[in-house]
Amino acid sequence: MSAPATNPPVRADRLPLIAGLLAVAAVLALGLAPQWASLPARLLLLVLSVFFAARLLKGRMKQFFNGPAAWFAAASLLVLVIVALFAPELSPQNPYDLAQLDIMDGRLEPGGTNFDGSMTYHLGTDEQGRDILSGILYGLRVSLMVAIVATMAAMAIGVVVGIYAAWAGGRVETILMRLVDLQLSFPSILVALMLMAAFGRGLDKVIIALIVVQWAYYARTVRGTALSEARKEYIDAARGLGLSSRRILFRHLLPNCIPPLVVISTVQVANTIVLESSLSFLGVGVPITRPSLGLLIANGYDYMLSGQYWMSMYPGVALLAIVASINLVGDRLRDVLNPRLRR
Amino acid sequence: MKTRHLRLTACAVALGLAAMPLAAQELRIGVASEPSSADPHFHNVGPNNQLRRNVFESLVGTDETQALLPELAESWRPLDDSSWEFKLRPGVKFSDGSDFDAYDVIYSVCRIPGVPDSPSLFTTYTKAIAGFEVPDPLTLVIKTDGPYPLLPTEVSTWGVISAKANGVDGASIQFSPDGCGDLAYPATQAFNDGSAAIGTGPFLMESFRRGEGVTLVRNPDYWGEPAPWEKVEMKPLTSAGPRVAALFAGDVDMIENPPLQDLDRIKGQDDLLAVQGISNRVIYIHLDHAQEPSPMITGTDGKNPLKDIRVREALSIAINRDAIVDRIMGGVAVAAGELLPGGMFGAHADGDMPPPGFDADRAKALLTEAGYPNGFGITIGTPNDRYINDAQVAQAVAQMWSRIGITTEIDASTASTFFSRRNAHEFSAYLAGWGSGTGEMSSPLKALLATPDKSRGYGGTNRGQYSNTAMDDLLTQALATVDDAKRQELLREASRVAMADWAIIPLHFEVTPWAMKKSLSYTPRVDQYTLPYDVRPAQ
Repeated sequence: MSAPATNPPVRADRLPLIAGLLAVAAVLALGLAPQWASLPARLLLLVLSVFFAARLLKGRMKQFFNGPAAWFAAASLLVLVIVALFAPELSPQNPYDLAQLDIMDGRLEPGGTNFDGSMTYHLGTDEQGRDILSGILYGLRVSLMVAIVATMAAMAIGVVVGIYAAWAGGRVETILMRLVDLQLSFPSILVALMLMAAFGRGLDKVIIALIVVQWAYYARTVRGTALSEARKEYIDAARGLGLSSRRILFRHLLPNCIPPLVVISTVQVANTIVLESSLSFLGVGVPITRPSLGLLIANGYDYMLSGQYWMSMYPGVALLAIVASINLVGDRLRDVLNPRLRR
Repeated sequence: MKTRHLRLTACAVALGLAAMPLAAQELRIGVASEPSSADPHFHNVGPNNQLRRNVFESLVGTDETQALLPELAESWRPLDDSSWEFKLRPGVKFSDGSDFDAYDVIYSVCRIPGVPDSPSLFTTYTKAIAGFEVPDPLTLVIKTDGPYPLLPTEVSTWGVISAKANGVDGASIQFSPDGCGDLAYPATQAFNDGSAAIGTGPFLMESFRRGEGVTLVRNPDYWGEPAPWEKVEMKPLTSAGPRVAALFAGDVDMIENPPLQDLDRIKGQDDLLAVQGISNRVIYIHLDHAQEPSPMITGTDGKNPLKDIRVREALSIAINRDAIVDRIMGGVAVAAGELLPGGMFGAHADGDMPPPGFDADRAKALLTEAGYPNGFGITIGTPNDRYINDAQVAQAVAQMWSRIGITTEIDASTASTFFSRRNAHEFSAYLAGWGSGTGEMSSPLKALLATPDKSRGYGGTNRGQYSNTAMDDLLTQALATVDDAKRQELLREASRVAMADWAIIPLHFEVTPWAMKKSLSYTPRVDQYTLPYDVRPAQ
């Protein structure tokens, strides 16, 4: 399967996928305004995401689920996404509502109960009396939401810049790509730290900082793919038909650049979760009354040596689980979507 | 008092020397923050002042409760409303062998205002000095403009350097508050490399290296009891984890500020012990008394509810201080009812001014009475790396305020960002701390609650812009009363007036812990200094 002729170019029938992608991003963006995230909206979002995943793997399901690791990763990712989406229904406490916390229940061991025994803290509490289990569910939600929204937005910017650079060529391409090189030459955690120091705390600011440090990856990838695709016959054919540049770019060229993007963005979501956690751990990310996984770990970190392990450990395990399962799924996707690796 | 101190010292030293082999007379201390310079007049900040006390002494010293002690001056008394007489200790020698006399004090005061590149000068503590008289070399009369009761306290904050060692003939100095003419002064660098580190203190400075620490050796010619240690190393171990680890590993004999969560572990060790003592630093929440609308208050149609005394009382009694001390501070703090711990000068005796009782129901009733039955929204600004568990304390307060219907958010940022935003009045309520530099109530009242007035140095840190003329008058009167008993009563009265107005919300006093080997003992100090001279081999 190496001849390009047997690997026909895709056309605009991938558009629903892009629309689905955008819908995912849009609904997740609504997560920033919690009053919009009603139960039906979240159910719709879950269905959309599963539908999108199924469409992506249409005809390659067997290839994807070729071993227990793939099953395991996909299942744990699905479970984690579901608990994050339905955290308000699943968690015993709203850890963001300060009036629900009781400082007298602070630093309870896993399995401890509150004063009148009406609530059991299965994974213990942190020093504010915040239920660690609820904290993890809500924290997962924040971490996932921030990562997906930032990744999608960074991808949108990167795709436009990359494809335009490849199409325009010449000086425009040089300027845009040197800008990308410049951006990539700084460690992303450093740039994000500087941005956060300038912006101050807040979910929206974390997302903006994460977009700024990521768009360049996509720009570079899309340009590379677009350059090689643009030399193929179907683009020449489209040109020959006299189609407008915009139509060729977005209806013919772009759909064929999608597979590598999907792979990168999956891995990149995992990286973004880690980056967001690092920022929050360092005390510049999300507000301290709305902790993400990184901030939960930071809160308990001081108590690690004194034996009160649960405050940091369980959020750490949750972070590990989500990052590992996203990476495994991303890995499988790469194997499946990359024609060069196909047997 | 001094004789008892000396006798105790002599006792401890004698026993210590008998118990320990000579080779063990070396003490290694892990300090939490590093001095920026060895120059005694360069930077008025805790770590520098702590180092200074080992090498350079002041006219007046302070004991562990910040009460005044004779040091280079054996006694002092006010002569009249504008002069204080200090009788200096005879036979004191600087480490270069020259004699100490009154001219060295004048020379030091001359140097203080002109230290180049100083981040924070000691002029705060010398600007009251209007002139000197030297009836004989061991008697110094300090002139002030009007009554100035704080003078003995203020001269305890800066060290005396030698005029002769720097080639200046002390008797020829023409002092005026605006300058002393063209005198030769040692450069800050000369103190850092040790060449100008010539003092009268119990230790000599052997070396000062940024990042590596300070090495002190015993001053064999010290006028008092010789220091119990032949050699002292003060290593900067600025992060808490490695500091504790160094103590456990035996790399240091003693550390400052072990983290609260590790205290139990330290106490559980057979060969380690921890001591703790209340500090003069109060952690408080200041409220915006002036801006309308206040920047971080929502849901009041532009009104500033904090101007209403009932709201301020509600906010204060909604806070369960004991819970914060117990849960957030691990029991290592003391709930506060005013701005200085009980028993210190100008504070009430223990129990006379208890922390406001926690009463959420009454707080809710007060809010309703004030016209906010549904509460309002507020954001507390707090640093997250300045005070012990600062952001966690703010979060606990937010939790308690939320329970009485006040939706509270936290805006936590690193100290430098926080302080510049606070100074720009960006917060409606903020959490901060104040350590009383002089050890008396006038310090927090003047800085935090006096109506801001730059020319008098009032209200320098009063970023809530509280203003109460009754309290201002009492404070001004106290600051001009030389009689200690009367001044103390005036300060207590001023504190009562402010607290009855719920002007500020005191939360707790920080307690400073030290951890060390069981073979050592140290008496906790309210000023939080770790002074090797006072570290004793335990018995």
